[in-house]
Amino acid sequence: MNPIWKKYLSATVPRYTSYPSALQFDKLEAGSRRAALDRIDNYDPISLYIHIPFCAKLCWYCGCNMRVENRYERASRYTTALVEEIRQVAGTMAGRGRLTQVHFGGGTPNYLSAEDLAQILDAVEIGFGLTDGTPVAMEFDPRLMNEKQIAAFTAMGVNRASLGIQDFDPFVQTAINRVQSFELIDACVSHLREAGVTDVGFDLLYGLPRQKEPSFRETLRKTVHLGPDRISLFGYAHIPDRLRHQRLIDPEDLPDPISRSQLRDMAADYFQDAGYLPIGFDHFARPDAPIARAMMANRLNRNFQGFTEDPANIVIGFGASAISSFPALHAQNEKDIAAYSASVMKGVDPAARGTKITPRDQKIGAWIKQLLCTGEARLSDYAAVLDLQEADLDRIRSRLDVFIRDGVVSLDGDTLRMREEARVLARTVAAIFDPYVKGAASFASLAV
Amino acid sequence: MREVAATMAHLPVREDETLLAEGTPTENLYVVVSGAFRLVRMMADGRRQITGFAFPGDILGQTDGRELTYSAESLEPGLVCRFPNGYLDRASLRHPEIKDQLIESGQAELHKARDHIVLLGKTSADERVFAFLKMIAGRTGHGLDGEAFYLPMSRQDMADYLGLRMETLSRTLTALRKAGKLSEVTGRLIRFAEAEGAVPASA
Repeated sequence: MNPIWKKYLSATVPRYTSYPSALQFDKLEAGSRRAALDRIDNYDPISLYIHIPFCAKLCWYCGCNMRVENRYERASRYTTALVEEIRQVAGTMAGRGRLTQVHFGGGTPNYLSAEDLAQILDAVEIGFGLTDGTPVAMEFDPRLMNEKQIAAFTAMGVNRASLGIQDFDPFVQTAINRVQSFELIDACVSHLREAGVTDVGFDLLYGLPRQKEPSFRETLRKTVHLGPDRISLFGYAHIPDRLRHQRLIDPEDLPDPISRSQLRDMAADYFQDAGYLPIGFDHFARPDAPIARAMMANRLNRNFQGFTEDPANIVIGFGASAISSFPALHAQNEKDIAAYSASVMKGVDPAARGTKITPRDQKIGAWIKQLLCTGEARLSDYAAVLDLQEADLDRIRSRLDVFIRDGVVSLDGDTLRMREEARVLARTVAAIFDPYVKGAASFASLAV
Repeated sequence: MREVAATMAHLPVREDETLLAEGTPTENLYVVVSGAFRLVRMMADGRRQITGFAFPGDILGQTDGRELTYSAESLEPGLVCRFPNGYLDRASLRHPEIKDQLIESGQAELHKARDHIVLLGKTSADERVFAFLKMIAGRTGHGLDGEAFYLPMSRQDMADYLGLRMETLSRTLTALRKAGKLSEVTGRLIRFAEAEGAVPASA
């Protein structure tokens, strides 16, 4: 990364996986999600997000809503609530909407037994229609995978797998409390391939404790050697004030912001040299992967899971803390597992918090999404959304000046364009156009 | 309509032929004389969604002059009657009832979609599959008298239409036979148990 971009690295901006971002969430009126569901039309594309909050072990870097669980009965009870929530929502839908994708996230979805996963998928099938071609994606903890589990899960329809890799170096793995051997990952990938999974993804993190260039290069080499179809490359966000377990990580071990960005740049170069295409600013994919095809067809999308080929602009979230997203509403289920389950079993909508999306929000959100997904957007489109006058546009241009001078963006007539190597700063640029971000606002995770 | 249809030439359709293609302008309407068609829509993610099936007596095409919102693909060899849109406008001057039928037919796909949503809204695989079989029997006029009848569509088409995994569809057909609601399930050959066969389809 260009050293003069260093100053942008300390900016903290929203992730823009939604607009308005989760920071704007507040208590929702009762019945909000139900009303949004009622507006879905017969063949509107919808996708489902199903949250499985349990993990077998605590990873010290984790920023997800999860809990370490050593009594499996709790996961079974949670499954009962999840199935009930799916039934209730499906009852409201009464056959409307067309399912484009099911995504299991966590926590650790493969913490579930095959029996409990079967119940959930049966409920999805009856409630929303699930065919053999429907993409069913799941995040996996390799340490809980085995040949039998992979065979059972794929037989039920799981056909896309994301493996939480983070880093292959045992020295780094020890520092984050997630030790998993290369041999294990190798075996998992082989079993997935044998089971016919054609879309295997690796999740990697840079900025982890003890990460150094030589060993991280080795992680990249091993990654490419195993040949995943997709790679996500996120920066570790160290916020021990908010996430207590991150205090287990020795801050002395963390790479400084410059080293972080060098690790990222090295990875981006490595993957592209190996034939992977950059997708958005934190994904890489083989040219024949669905997400790469979507990008080339100019229909890359971004939702709560990040960049995605899933075209659905309606996501229904199930489970504790899951977020549903509709054209005019974001709604988040209760985060606490017990409170979530109690609400569902009482027949009360668990989507307690969220935010309405005004028509203005929708337009700003679409504009920001375009900037993030394609790296360019037109100022006149933005001006039209906000009904801006020339004077307002001048103010925006002046705020862009420093970015232009530093070569982060260019202004080609009316078109604002991210420099390719600076795509990772897209959220920082987007924040200029976000009326919810006031001044030197400093919230949400570290941008890069 | 039959009277008008009688004056028109019958056009043979081969198996697996695309009679109407989604996204192309419509110049003709077709009345299905024999055979069966599946109606398919391309969804936003590039996957195909079967939204309905057409049988003898059904009208395919749109009269609104817009691009077709679905494709019609033949499941078996058959015959259709082709009407240029303009011709029908003129014919309906002499036979005003045709106009009503045309307006209705412009909505044919919509009706099919509504049937589809009703089926998808059924809360068990048993109900969904059985209601589908009754619908096909009702529409083709076969199988309601306790006779065995052939399903014109493949299991794959059926599973896609019903939003079920193949495995679930097979299991459900077996379960319906074991429960005595179907007396025969052999490939595409289906026979309702007699008590069921007497009830007309409602779906």
